[in-house]
Amino acid sequence: MTPEQLKYTPDHEWIAVNGDTVRVGITDFAQDQLGDVVFVQVPEVGAAVGAKDAVGEVESTKSVSEIYAPVGGEVTAVNEALNDSPELINSDPFGDGWMFELKITNPAELGELLDAEGYRALTGQA
Amino acid sequence: MHDLHASLDATFAPFGGWEMPIQYKTGVVAEHTAVRENAGIFDVSHLGKVRVAGPGAAGFVNRCLTNDLGRIAPGKAQYTLCCTETGGTVDDIIAYLVSPDDVFLVPNAANTAEVARRLVAAAPEGISVTDEHREHAVLAVQGPRSAELLKTLGLPTELEYMAYRDAAWRDIKVRVCRTGYTGEHGYELIPAWNDAPAVWEALREAGGVPCGLGARDTLRTEMGYPLHGHELSLDISPVQAGSTWAVGWSKDEFWGRAALMAERKEPARRLRGLRALERGVPRPEMAVLDADGKRIGVTTSGTFSPTLKTGIALALIDTSAGVEFGAEVTLDVRGRELRCEVVKPPFVQTHVR
Repeated sequence: MTPEQLKYTPDHEWIAVNGDTVRVGITDFAQDQLGDVVFVQVPEVGAAVGAKDAVGEVESTKSVSEIYAPVGGEVTAVNEALNDSPELINSDPFGDGWMFELKITNPAELGELLDAEGYRALTGQA
Repeated sequence: MHDLHASLDATFAPFGGWEMPIQYKTGVVAEHTAVRENAGIFDVSHLGKVRVAGPGAAGFVNRCLTNDLGRIAPGKAQYTLCCTETGGTVDDIIAYLVSPDDVFLVPNAANTAEVARRLVAAAPEGISVTDEHREHAVLAVQGPRSAELLKTLGLPTELEYMAYRDAAWRDIKVRVCRTGYTGEHGYELIPAWNDAPAVWEALREAGGVPCGLGARDTLRTEMGYPLHGHELSLDISPVQAGSTWAVGWSKDEFWGRAALMAERKEPARRLRGLRALERGVPRPEMAVLDADGKRIGVTTSGTFSPTLKTGIALALIDTSAGVEFGAEVTLDVRGRELRCEVVKPPFVQTHVR
């Protein structure tokens, strides 16, 4: 399950581009590997982040993984629903389980992201 | 058994020298909940099995391990500890008293060889210590519906807590003990190693939910049960871990007696429960800080409690810090502060009896 219209990172995040903002979450592949997600720490609204900065954490019953900013920008929104329902990451990783939104500083950075085909190849999915 | 677990989409990881199912496709939280509300089945055949036999075998074991076998009769099992002379904990063990001349020990996988080595070295003439690791399997059936499952197989269920009976399912011999590591009403079944797949499948067909070591760990942490290597170790004595109920203080002799007696009054640190007061998940080896940010202890286990939906931990806290139950401390969670209340485990009501 790797939607065609999204961009991806090798850190198993997806990026939905909408004008000069992007919405970010983790992929279905990632949530399956993590197992039951029990805690999500997202960045603060207003925070300035650089591409590949660690900006939060996703913690499952098994392990902790860092969340990275896929591109540089300013955090404009975070998914508050994850505070009480971190399991949304498991049940709907590409939808209600989104994590945060960024206003992009440098659109050229989008060119470095993977497309669906590239991400499928990376994760060994047909 | 490995193929059966793989057929259930188990995630495997090495544990105690064995490749063990950590969770199945259902996931840790669902498996945990199955045990609290229904019935879960665990393959814990990695646990060690050591038989001590010969004239006076029980008396010999009683001079080595901490608990007092004199408190129980044949047909019962007992939680006990193997200590060093300096009071460190080599392992925690379930001892089945078969007869005065026959004791069956179930140590942890990784420590079985060391426990056996120490017993062999101490055994008098005529008493044999045999490692039977691959002769017996151990299948745990845990949860409020565990008795129903056993009844489906025609196995005995009306047993006192920690009592066991040798029974049979079809023509397969199974030792059934009323014990467990989850805090729920439950049993551990000990069939022959090669009979385990058939018994496992029968339990599954009867409605048992396969559960991995991940759920076993969250279940035992909610109960505050120690896990060797975390709450008990060569560096952590039973006195520090609060396992003194498993020490037969009135016995004249057991390994570590003098050291434990000396430490008993005022251990330098004690095991406490921590319950998170805000969102966040404690993990082992995190620093416990007082109000001034001074380090006063360390977590030994930590997890997200699926029952309480909050972070919980077990931690060794310095006695000199004078921290009482109800006090607030802080955990250093990878540089972030997590406020916790000091509590007395269990975190969740037990239903073992």
